[in-house]
Amino acid sequence: MIEMKNLTKTFKGKISVNQLSLVIHPGAVTGFLGPNGAGKSTTMKMILGLMNPSEGSVTIDGQSYKELKQPISKVGALINGNAVNPQLTAKQHLELIAAASGIPKKQAEKMLRTTGLENVRHKQVHTFSLGMKQRLGIATALLGNPETVILDEPFNGLDVDGIHWLRELTKKLAQDGKAVLISSHLMSEMQMIADRMIILAQGNLIADMTVTELAEKSLGSYVKVSCENNEELISLLTEKGADIKQSKNEELHVHHLEMKQIGLLAKEKNLALYELTKIQPSLEQLFVELTEDKMDYVSAGTPPGKGRKLK
Amino acid sequence: MKNIIQAEHKKIFFLRFSRVYLLFTIGISLVAGFIFSVTTHVTQGRSITDLSVLEVVSANMLGMDLASILLIIFTGLSVSREFTAETIYSSLAVVPDRKKFFMGKYITFFLLSIVLSVLLITLIYLSSQIILMMNNMDAANLANTDIRQFVLGIMVMPVFYCLLTVAATIFFKSSGGGMAFSIIVMAVPALINMFPDTVQKILLPFMPQSAIHSLSGTAAEGSFEALGTGTSIGLLLLWLVITALIAIISFQKRDF
Repeated sequence: MIEMKNLTKTFKGKISVNQLSLVIHPGAVTGFLGPNGAGKSTTMKMILGLMNPSEGSVTIDGQSYKELKQPISKVGALINGNAVNPQLTAKQHLELIAAASGIPKKQAEKMLRTTGLENVRHKQVHTFSLGMKQRLGIATALLGNPETVILDEPFNGLDVDGIHWLRELTKKLAQDGKAVLISSHLMSEMQMIADRMIILAQGNLIADMTVTELAEKSLGSYVKVSCENNEELISLLTEKGADIKQSKNEELHVHHLEMKQIGLLAKEKNLALYELTKIQPSLEQLFVELTEDKMDYVSAGTPPGKGRKLK
Repeated sequence: MKNIIQAEHKKIFFLRFSRVYLLFTIGISLVAGFIFSVTTHVTQGRSITDLSVLEVVSANMLGMDLASILLIIFTGLSVSREFTAETIYSSLAVVPDRKKFFMGKYITFFLLSIVLSVLLITLIYLSSQIILMMNNMDAANLANTDIRQFVLGIMVMPVFYCLLTVAATIFFKSSGGGMAFSIIVMAVPALINMFPDTVQKILLPFMPQSAIHSLSGTAAEGSFEALGTGTSIGLLLLWLVITALIAIISFQKRDF
C-alpha cells in the first residue's frame, strides 16, 4: 500500500505539491486528475524516488521506494512512454530491465504477448508509433508483476483497440487485488474505469473519494422533479433543507435532498409527481466545477469560475 | 550489483553502434600506432632503424592515446544516453538506489576499458614486433624492465580517462560536459608547460598525466612530472575517488 504523508515539493519557491496526504488502495483503480501543472506527475515521480520531496514522505508498505529490495515487483510504473533507447528492440528493452531486476527472461516474452507487441518484438523502438511505445511502457511497468501499477497518461496515442484493451487490463489488475493509479485527461475513460478519484489543483488535494461520492457532493448533482403543485412541493422541500431552482418549463431542480426523500414527502402530502429523476453530472463537469480558478494554464476565452474543495 | 552490471553490459552491447564503434576504436588505434612508428623519419627526423626498440614500441603505443580519446567519446555518448533518450526514468525505476546505479555503471565501464586496454596493448605490442622484425631489429622483450614498465603504465591511461568520463558525464548530465572535462584534464599539462617553472612545479605533480608518465617510465628523472609509483597510483585513485564522489552526491540530489 502506498501512503503519502504531508508530501510537499517546491521548485524555486513555487509549491508544486502541497502537504499531500493520501493512501492508494489495493484492489481498486484510482484516477489521478488535475489540470496541467497540478502536481500529478511530480507526485508520481516522488513515489518512485525520481524526485526528492521537499517535505513529508511517501512509503510503499512502510518503506521508501529506494529501500525496496526488488522495487519493480512492488511498484511498476509508466512515467514517460519515451523512456526507452530508440535503437533497442522491444525485446531487448524488456530483457535489460529484467536483467537489472533479476527477473527471468521469459517474463519479457510474456509481457510482449500481454501487450500485443509479440509481432514487433524484434523491431527497433524508433520505428514504433506513440501507441506502441505506450504499450511497451505498460509492458515494462507490468514486468515485475507488481502489487501497485502507476500509469501516467497511458491512453496517449492509443487507438480504439488499445484504449479498449487498457480499459480491460486496468480493471483486471484491480480485480486481481492490485492498486492501480492512473492519471489522464480523458475524463470519459476515467469515469469508465476508476473506482476512486483523487483530484489535485495547484498542488492541493481537492477531492479523494469514489465517483459516486463525488457526484453526490457536486453542485451539478440534483433531482429533477415535475409535480402537480410546484408551490406546495417547494415549500415542503425547502423546510427540509433543499435548495430548489425552477426551470422555464416548470421543472424543479432540487439540490441537497435524495430522490427517495422527495418521493416520500410528496406521498405524505398526496402530491402527484410526473417526474422524479436523479441527474448526475459527468466527471468532466465535476472536474471543471472543482478546478475552476485553480488552473495554472487557462485557454483564452475561458470564463472565470469558482473552484471548491470537497470534504 | 551483478544484475546491474549485466544490464549495463546489455545496454552497451545490444546496440550495433557500440559494437561497431569499439571495433573501429581497436582498428584505427592499431593503424594509427603503426603509422606513427613507420613515419618517425618525418615526425622525429630519425629513421626507424636509428631508434631503440623501446622508442619504436613507444611510437607505436601512441595508438593508445588515440584509443583513450575515442574511449572518452564512446563513454560520454553511452552514459549520456540515459539523459538524452530519457531512459533514466526506467533505469532508476529498476535501480532506485542511485549510488548503486552509479557504481554499476562505473564498474561496467571499468571492466570494459580494462578489456579494451589489454586487448589493444597486446595487439599494438604484436604490431611493434612485426615492425621491428621488418626492419631487422631485435624483438621487444617483456623481460626488459623499461619495456614492461612502459607497457603496463600505458595500459592505465584508457581506463583512467574512461572512468573520469563516466563521473563527469553523470555530473554534467551531458556527453559534451563529460568529454570536455576528460579532454581538458588530458590537455591541461600542455598548457601548464607554457608557464614558468615555478607554476609548473606546483601544478604538474597534481595532474593525472604526470602519474601516467611516471608509471610508464616516460617522465624524465628530475622533471616536475616525475613521481614515485605509490604516489602515482595514489594520485590517480584520488582523482577517481573525488570525481566519483562529486558525481554521486550531485546525482543523488537531482530530480528527474
